Amino acid sequence: MILLDLELKDSPGELLKALTPISEMGINIHSVIHLREKKSDGKVPVRIVLEDLDEETLERIVERLEESGIVVTKVNNKVRKMDVDVVVIGHVVDTDIRDTIDRLNKYGLVVDLDLTMPHPFKESSARMRIVVDSKNLEDLCREMEKLSKEKDLLFIKSF
Amino acid sequence: MRVILVGFGVIGRGVIKVIKKKREYLKKKYGMDLKVVAICDSSGAAIDEKGLDLDLALEVKKKRGRISEYPGKGVTLPVTEVIRSVESDVLIEVTPTNLEDGEPARTYIIEGFKSGKHVITANKGPLALYFQELMSYARRYNRIFRYEASVGGAMPIINLARETLAGNEIIEIKGILNGTTNYILTKMEREKLDFDTVLKEAQELGIAETNPYQDISGLDTAAKIVILANSIMNMKVTIRDVKIEGITRITPEALTMANKGGYTIKLIGEVKRNKLEVGPKLIPLDDPLNVKGSLNVAKLYTDLAKEVIVVGRGAGSIETSSAILSDIINIYLQTSKG
Repeated sequence: MILLDLELKDSPGELLKALTPISEMGINIHSVIHLREKKSDGKVPVRIVLEDLDEETLERIVERLEESGIVVTKVNNKVRKMDVDVVVIGHVVDTDIRDTIDRLNKYGLVVDLDLTMPHPFKESSARMRIVVDSKNLEDLCREMEKLSKEKDLLFIKSF
Repeated sequence: MRVILVGFGVIGRGVIKVIKKKREYLKKKYGMDLKVVAICDSSGAAIDEKGLDLDLALEVKKKRGRISEYPGKGVTLPVTEVIRSVESDVLIEVTPTNLEDGEPARTYIIEGFKSGKHVITANKGPLALYFQELMSYARRYNRIFRYEASVGGAMPIINLARETLAGNEIIEIKGILNGTTNYILTKMEREKLDFDTVLKEAQELGIAETNPYQDISGLDTAAKIVILANSIMNMKVTIRDVKIEGITRITPEALTMANKGGYTIKLIGEVKRNKLEVGPKLIPLDDPLNVKGSLNVAKLYTDLAKEVIVVGRGAGSIETSSAILSDIINIYLQTSKG
């Protein structure tokens, strides 16, 4: 059996969007399990159990799901994509936040951004959620270290 | 069993109070007759090979501030001389921590081994800087060296990993090993106050020291991480190998941001292969590492038992002395066998 762990938005039609490409490829779905207790930030983890497949077909399914914007977090319990959170402290906006995000996006994808600026002269804080391929995590960390030195930002990571 | 106590500050006095309190218990439970034959402070020492009067020692220190004024038995010998010349089984070293060069504790510990004594210390300085050297002295002189109180105060961790979890490979240790910073972050989070205000308050309450640098810079946590890395995970590292970031830049706004995402911010020390790090981290609100106030916590990842988590008080003279007492009992049990 194959286990696919997905992360879906908690809104109608999302599950269908994930299941349609699988059934279109003629693959048998054993079960669909909602892991609602692990819900965070409006995303629901869902585990789909499929019949046994060869590597190539499995890779094609994952690609098709990702093309349609679905986050595949684990394949057979192996972490593929992960959500990481960071809180950034410093002059986040003045040090060109656009550039910061672009540079992080080279290794992952900033999907959520929250910003607070208590006072123009005081340091601000931002919270970012980044989806990253587990194999790119180290590179992402290195980029954060570089940004931290260049822009005097403090990255507080969830990992 | 005869012990020499070096260092008669807050922890030293705690040790004496605990020994006093537990004397009958130790006799009953283990058959141990525990005698303190010398107490040293910076003024000199009080020495009595038949065992000092501990109430009197505490009183002299309180009233006169110098143990060398102990009636009839007070001397102004240097500490190393006392360690060398007074016969005893165990040396308990609890002088103030020095993370620059580990002195004078390092010299005292080495003198202890050289003069045939088992050594117990609560001192992070020499352990974080000269662990390998001190272990090699212990081996050369075939003496026992224990230091449970150096990490996490009363929270059992070193002996837990080495003895209770024996047979497990410890893959990673992660935790809050400094009570002061945990107190500050907890308070900032709850009351939305800035770092400086909470630090000042913590100093007034005696939770933070007058010079809080070692705590808030992460240096204290780094020393503890190094001790764990060397003693539990067989690494050969010193404090200079640790990547350190303190908590001085944390703001109440950052804590609120973290909370909104389901996290809190804690000063976390972390050790695993290729990683030796101290810094503020996002910890999920429902994670066992999210302990409040001045508590310490450590999560050990092991190959067989998987995760093991301990929580306890990381500071306080009686709490820390309980860890020292456990080392005393352990040495007694090891040496009195057969």
